[in-house]
Amino acid sequence: MKEVVMECRNLWKIYDGKIIAVKDVSLQIHEKDIKVIFGPSGSGKSTLLRCLSMLTPPTKGEVFLRGECLTKQGIDLNKARARIGFVFQHIWLFPHLTALGNVELALRHVLKMPKKEAREKALEALRVVKMEKWANYYPAQLSGGQQQRVGIARALAKNPDIILLDEPTSALDPELTGEVIDTLRSLAKQGTTMLIVTHEMPFAREVADEMIFFDQGTIVERGIPEHFFTKPSSDRAKKFMERLIEKTAGEQNV
Amino acid sequence: MTPIEELLYILEGVPITLAISIFSFLFGLILGIPLAFLREYMGKSLRILVDIYEKIFRTVPELVLMLFFYVGLGLSLGIGLFKDAFFSATFVLGLRSGANQSQIFRGAIRGIGETQMLVARSLGLSRLQAIFYVIIPQTFIIATPGLGSEYALLVKDSAYSFILGVIDMMKKADIIRKTTLDMVFPYITTAILYIILTFPIATYLDKWGSRKKKQLGI
Repeated sequence: MKEVVMECRNLWKIYDGKIIAVKDVSLQIHEKDIKVIFGPSGSGKSTLLRCLSMLTPPTKGEVFLRGECLTKQGIDLNKARARIGFVFQHIWLFPHLTALGNVELALRHVLKMPKKEAREKALEALRVVKMEKWANYYPAQLSGGQQQRVGIARALAKNPDIILLDEPTSALDPELTGEVIDTLRSLAKQGTTMLIVTHEMPFAREVADEMIFFDQGTIVERGIPEHFFTKPSSDRAKKFMERLIEKTAGEQNV
Repeated sequence: MTPIEELLYILEGVPITLAISIFSFLFGLILGIPLAFLREYMGKSLRILVDIYEKIFRTVPELVLMLFFYVGLGLSLGIGLFKDAFFSATFVLGLRSGANQSQIFRGAIRGIGETQMLVARSLGLSRLQAIFYVIIPQTFIIATPGLGSEYALLVKDSAYSFILGVIDMMKKADIIRKTTLDMVFPYITTAILYIILTFPIATYLDKWGSRKKKQLGI
């Protein structure tokens, strides 16, 4: 049995006492697992990811990272976050730092690596995403796809237990999406544990161990990719899949 | 006195003018940065305190404040350092600059937005580390043009200190006026010197800041 890397139990996020963003979600992600979450926008997928990394504290429920409860009082969340990679939808690199500087920052100041070691690690991470040639470029000098690859390297360099990716390609045009997907595909091959929110269905079908359909703050249906591509059981998932497949087909025809 | 002698005499006041300007600028910087962050990131009561401080030093004329600190606190009540005219003038301008710089930095922090903080925290940086490594460097770039104007303002307002008897450029010019009864040349010379001391630096900082901002897409 593979070790559970990240888990949440009965997780709720309620804003202002009435707006339910995440509703009673329980989830386990095992070592080397790749789980894909998909569902309509505004369904609470981003909030779920932020709750899992404790960037947004959940209202109720528990989050565990390798068995350690992060929702307990008095836990050092900075240390916990150092072990979680997070890739944002809107890329949000640090504009005043080079690609290398972006990747190095947490290695130097969170993991407290010596300068030389941090540099080597950062370059290695940039190599994985094929961005080492651009190490000394500033984000503004890079394309959106290149920036997102640096964003992935930044999350990867910390050698995290898991990487959470919040629609990493949805701010990119199709061509740039391709290069980011290629990067993710190679991470998947290397056995990186990932929880990915994405609507790139061919990619999800290829790499996901499990797909989770998320709507109105909760898990509606889950299963292996083939399940969703052949016979999703809920109406909502069925309709959503149909629309996604239509959209993908439409894009390919253009 | 020949015009050259007069010019040289006024130039002797430049170090004092610059000292007041630079020290009050640095004092303002040391005050302004933490105040801006307190105002942006801390609770409401601190926010109100910072606001009151800013309001006072941005509305009461520096001349009134200088006389209050030097004549009032220093000469009349005999409170330590305020008995020194140079110190009182620099102190008041520094406090005023702290209020201005707090506003300059606050605007810059808002320009950066909350997402940079979120990303920094997602990497495991503490709030303070995020401020130090992510927010402050960008804040400085955005604030540079404003800081240039602030420096120019301080050089300009350092002239008030002559009322307290500080022997700066302004005072030197006034001494020449008194002794030679030439009421035109000393003031024109001083005016030109003030322009020389402020304009190039302020313009350079403005250009540098704007260019850097554009380059980095901040």
